[in-house]
Parts: sequence; C-alpha cells; structure tokens
Amino acid sequence: MDFRFTEKQEALRREIAEFAKKELPPDWLSFDSFGDTTDWAFVMYLAKKLGKKGWLVRHWPKEYGGGGASAFEKLIFGDEIAYWGIPGTKMGASGTAWVGPSIILFGTEEQKAKYLPPIAEGEPDGIWCTGYSEPDAGTDLAVVKTRAARDGDDYVINGMKVWQSMAHHARWCWLLVRTHPDLPRHKGLSIIIVDMESPGITVRPIIDFRGAHMLNEIFFDDVRVPATNLVGEENGGWNVVMGALNIERTAGACTGDSKRILEELVNYAKGAQQDGKPLSKNPLVRNRLANIAVEIEAVRLLAYKIAWTETKGQISPVDASVAKVLGTESRQRLVTAGMEILGPASQLRPASKRAKLRGALIDMQFMSFIGRFGGGTNEIQRNIIAWMGLGLPKA
Amino acid sequence: MDLGFSEEQEMLRKASREFLEKECPKSLVQEMEKRETGYPPELWEKMSNLGWMGLVLPEAYGGVGGSFLDLVILLEEMGRALLPGPFFSTVVLGALPILTAGSEEQKQTFLPHIASGEQILTLAWTEPNVSYRAAGVTVPATPYKNDYVIQGIKLFVPYAHVADWILCVARTGNGAAPEDGITVFIVDAKSPGIAVTVMDTMAGERQCEVEFKDVRVPRDRILGQLDRGWEWMEKVLEQTAVASCVQMVGGAQRVMEMTAEYAKMRVQFGRPIGAFQVTAHRSADQLIDVEAARTIIYQAAWLISEGLPCAKEVSLAKVWANEAYWRICVEAHQTHGGIGVTEEFELGLYTWRAKAAQFAFGDSDFHREIIARQLGL
Repeated sequence: MDFRFTEKQEALRREIAEFAKKELPPDWLSFDSFGDTTDWAFVMYLAKKLGKKGWLVRHWPKEYGGGGASAFEKLIFGDEIAYWGIPGTKMGASGTAWVGPSIILFGTEEQKAKYLPPIAEGEPDGIWCTGYSEPDAGTDLAVVKTRAARDGDDYVINGMKVWQSMAHHARWCWLLVRTHPDLPRHKGLSIIIVDMESPGITVRPIIDFRGAHMLNEIFFDDVRVPATNLVGEENGGWNVVMGALNIERTAGACTGDSKRILEELVNYAKGAQQDGKPLSKNPLVRNRLANIAVEIEAVRLLAYKIAWTETKGQISPVDASVAKVLGTESRQRLVTAGMEILGPASQLRPASKRAKLRGALIDMQFMSFIGRFGGGTNEIQRNIIAWMGLGLPKA
Repeated sequence: MDLGFSEEQEMLRKASREFLEKECPKSLVQEMEKRETGYPPELWEKMSNLGWMGLVLPEAYGGVGGSFLDLVILLEEMGRALLPGPFFSTVVLGALPILTAGSEEQKQTFLPHIASGEQILTLAWTEPNVSYRAAGVTVPATPYKNDYVIQGIKLFVPYAHVADWILCVARTGNGAAPEDGITVFIVDAKSPGIAVTVMDTMAGERQCEVEFKDVRVPRDRILGQLDRGWEWMEKVLEQTAVASCVQMVGGAQRVMEMTAEYAKMRVQFGRPIGAFQVTAHRSADQLIDVEAARTIIYQAAWLISEGLPCAKEVSLAKVWANEAYWRICVEAHQTHGGIGVTEEFELGLYTWRAKAAQFAFGDSDFHREIIARQLGL
C-alpha cells in the first residue's frame, strides 16, 4: 500500500501549474469546463495550446494520437486542470471525454482517421455535441423518436433533441437516432455522426437561469447524412451509448476545483472580519470548512481508488455510480457551506466589484443542480448501486 | 499509488474472518453483554495462540513483527464480528504506547507478557471534564519519596475491571502550555487505592470508572519522560483514533450487508421490500458511505504505518467514520423496522457501538477543530 504519487506525476502537476500561471489571467477563478461562460475565442485559443502539448487526449491510446495515459494518470491530470480552472479541455460536450473514446472503441478506421485528429489538435472542427435527450426521452432514453430513415447511400433524419450543451459551437453531433421504427425501445437505435453544417439543422439556444447559453434544442428537418457516418451496427446503437456512458467513470468525482474553492474560502475567512473578529476564528466557520475538507478528501480518495482498480483491470460495475453520487452531492453541500461563509456577497455575479471569490460560487451552485441529474440521475445511479452492488431486486 | 493490501495481508484477512465467524458468533457477543468480565477467556487464549496480541510487537519481545497495517486488517475483522474483550485496550492502548515511549527495560518487562496473552492492559485518560485536549488532563500525580502518588477519577477506561496494568495519563506539572507537565504512569491495577466500577453504558464493551486514592507508583514506572508525556501521547491518540476508525468500518460494512440481506428477504405487497426504490436507495447510500470510508481510513493507517505526519488525515478519517457508521446504523433501523429493535437481533449491538465509537478518541467536533487548524485557520 502506498498513497504517494510518483515524481513523474508530481512533475506533471507542476507543469500544469506553470501552464495555468502563464496562460490564465492572474486573478482567474472560474471552473467552466465546457466553456459556456468563457469567451469562446479564449477557449479555442487554449484548446489549440493544450492540443499542441498533447494535453487534450493524454488518456487516449497512442495509436490514435493520445498519450496512452492510464485511468489513474487521467484522474491526476483532470484534478490539476480542474484546480486551476483551465478551460478548453472538453472540445464541446465532449470530444475529448467520451465521443473520441467512443469512436476509438466502436468506429471504423476511416472514422477514426477523420474525426479524431481535429479533437486531439484543438481545432474548431474537433468540437462536438451529444444528441441524446429529447422532450419525451430523458432518463428513459430508450424511447427516443428522432428518426433516421435509410434512403440510398444516406440516412434522412427528422426530429429534435433538447439539452444539447455547446451545440451552438459544435461542428459535429454524436446523434442517437431510431433507425428501425418497429423494434421496441433500445433495440431499434443507432448512433450516427452528423455534420452540424448540414442543411436542415436548426440550433435554438436555451438560456439557463444564470442568463448563460450552454444548452440548446437541435431541430433536424430532412437532414441528409451519409450512411458511412453510422457508428457501430445499425440498430446496435444502445451498446455504443452504454459503452460511452461507462467511459467517464470518475468524472463525477473530480475534486480539483473543490480543493481550490476550499483554499479560497480558507484565505477569505482568514482575511475577513465579522463583529470585530476574524471569520477564521468563528467556530461555525471552522466547523463548516473542516466538513468541506472531509468530504473533498473522501471523494478524492474514492476517485483514486476507482481509477487505481481500473488501471489494474478490475472494474466494479458500481464504482462510477458511487463516485458520481457522492461527488455531485458533496459538491452541492460544499457550495451551500461556502455561501454561508461568504454571506450576502454570494449573490454578486463575477462582474460585480464587490463579488467574493470572483462570484465563482454562483456558477458552481448552478452546475450542482445539473450534477445530480445530468449524466444519469442520482436516482438511477442509486438503483444501479442497489441492483449491481448489493443484489437488491428490481421492482 | 498502490491502494491494495499485500497478498499476505489478504490472507490474514481471510483467515481472521473465518476464525471470527466460527469463534465469535452473534450468540457469543450477546452472552458477553451479560457476563461480568465481558469477554470469553477461551477465545482470548485461542487468539493469543494465533499470535494476535503480538502481531505488531517486535520479535525481540515475543511478537510477530507485523506492521500497523497488519493490525488494521485484524481490527477491521474484529469490528465486523463485534469481538468483545480487551484486545483493543491491551494492544492499541497498552502495547503501542509502551512500544512508542517505553525504556528498553519496560519493553522487556511488559511486552512479552502482552504478546503471550497473559496480561491485559488499558489506558486511563478521559476525566469527568470530558476533554480530549491536554488541558483536560488534571488528575495530579505528586512526587513522594521514590514514588508518585496519583489522586483522582478517570472515566471510560476500557476493561479496567479485568486489567493487570492501567496506563494512567496524569498531571505532574503546570507549564506555560497545558501540554507541559503531563506524565504517563504504568500502574499496577492491583495497587491499593484503586477502585474500579464498570460504568453502565449502552454498548456491551466494558468501560470503567477508575478512582485513584493515594495510589503509589514507582518512578521507574513512568512511561517516557516526566512532564513530557503529551509529546508522544498525541501520536498515540492518532493511532488509537485510526484503530477505532478501522473497527468502525468493519462494523459498518456488516451492517450494510445485513440491511441488504433483510431487504431481499422481507416480503411485503408481494415482493421483497428491496424492490421499492426508497429502500433500495437507502442501501445504496450505505454502500457509498462504506466505500468512501475505506480509503480515507486506510490513508491514515498507511501514514501511521510509515511513520509519516498524519494529524490532518487522521482527523479527516475519524470525522468520516464517526458520521458514516452512525448514519449506516440509523438507516439500517429504518429498513429493518420492528425486528431491528429487538435484543435478539444483532443490529442493536452495532448501533450502540457506533454511537460509543463517535465519542472515543475524539468526537467529530474535536477532529474538525484539528482539521481547521491544519487548514491554517
């Protein structure tokens, strides 16, 4: 047993820190992983630089332009990027995190040659969105209706998708469609890659209650897509989707940004006064910060344990679910406690000169709602844990 | 990073689990709740024949020369099985301090008898003021000729009523800081003036009130140096807190399993209650708690095993264990319903121990304060 990182791993951390200090503005405190609240030109500028360093796809196999990094190293890297809040790593939602790896797992050689390099290089043509959810198909994804009908060498797509993050910047869509109208539920589904510049596609922004534009509706009106864009078997799309969902095993448990926020809160408490006393001496504040530290450490180590077992080739089916539930719910508790410490200033948006911690908790609060239902609701995750981790019966 | 145990450690876990499943069934634990001594000597002897008492003692003192991590394996299985008796107090509260601070002569005098299972030890620390801090140590030990005289009351002393030796944390001086002037004495439990009463606690583990009335202890029974006991007692507190966490996660795991078993077995409305989402999710939360507990506790245990600084990590682990074990028991009661509150069923045994463990070796607020200081607040 050994809880230490290697010198090589520590060196990587230092390299990322240097990159952050060089490329980010000095007072940068923002954890916008998709880039929805960051100037897009800056996001792409960084994506290009990260691509040049091989840092967008370190976790991909070497034969596909990746660094061949293990699951464990991926987590270390992800934690450090998150700590500094470096945007530009996701290539939409998300070329680097799950679309690229899915193409590696399920795509043809032609597809790999065409789609992977722009992702790895941080090019605008490497930006992706994921077309899964529809108005009637969220948690029950298997009932998607968007239809892809075969017509000669093409599929013709009609339907709509909702909640697509970053579709307004995406060049490609990783789309879940119904290719067989008579096979029930997931049996008639396929994954197809759609060029977002195709005629017939309309992207309509959904403004969220921060006033930010991350989410979209996508309408498909007789959109023609070459049949060679199908990924995997026709009507075998569900396997591809399940494979993709499993790739981001520890994504929900990234704690680098939590660690950063804790440090910022500690510094804030040391400098701030309330009723004539430093906030840092207030037992309630000390208690809250200590609790935050406990939860961050539990999630951090859980993520490392999961990544380590994956590196050893032993994957437990519930690990991803455990990490996701604890990571997202403890994150929400962290934000609550953080705002209790910051007080009324918590309401101030980043542009306000009196905002504390650069208003970063507002975004974190907003994203914490999404965390508990996005990427598989926590209710479903708990079902999975109960069924597969404890053998409890399904209803 | 390597987050696994060694092959030998996994073998030890398997063997100790099998041993305890056979030798320490629920019926034995329940019987010991009622027996005055609180533990079965036959089982104690079997454990000492296995070399368990000497697991972390160097071979030079009759031990096996194992590491703190090896002990962790045993303690987790003991927590799972609810092993009743003075193993924890003898090995963790008695042997480890002597190993840490004892003179060569003291080690030779005491450790072999611990390793052999002949002698039982415990540690008298908490006082009626119930503080885990140095300032809470007020029981005075006053020099008199070649001895020191201890006068005062210690509470929650595990198995003092069967102990041969009681390590007593006493105050021999008042310095600039409350940490100065603390001395630990190895006291013969049969000394005149010692009165031991078993406290009537909710859990079956015996905790005692020990009254010292003019109890004389020879100078050579000072453990470590006069007035400088806190320096190494702080380390001992870390070890005992983590050892306690390890027992807790062993118990928590068993409660989680028990709850899932019940949810699969208990049928209402024509199906196992585990098929209902609320019940299923409650179990899922227990699994999350146990999984998270393991690694945060093992981190602290590893640091101790390596002799590395660990104050923050120990406190992080103890807070998690305190809250998680209790949460798991509370929710287990919800799933079990009526059967869970009977004396006959074993859940209650775990529940009271989970509560007692929250207080032992630092409650959550105590450890949160350590974390706050470690954060630089």
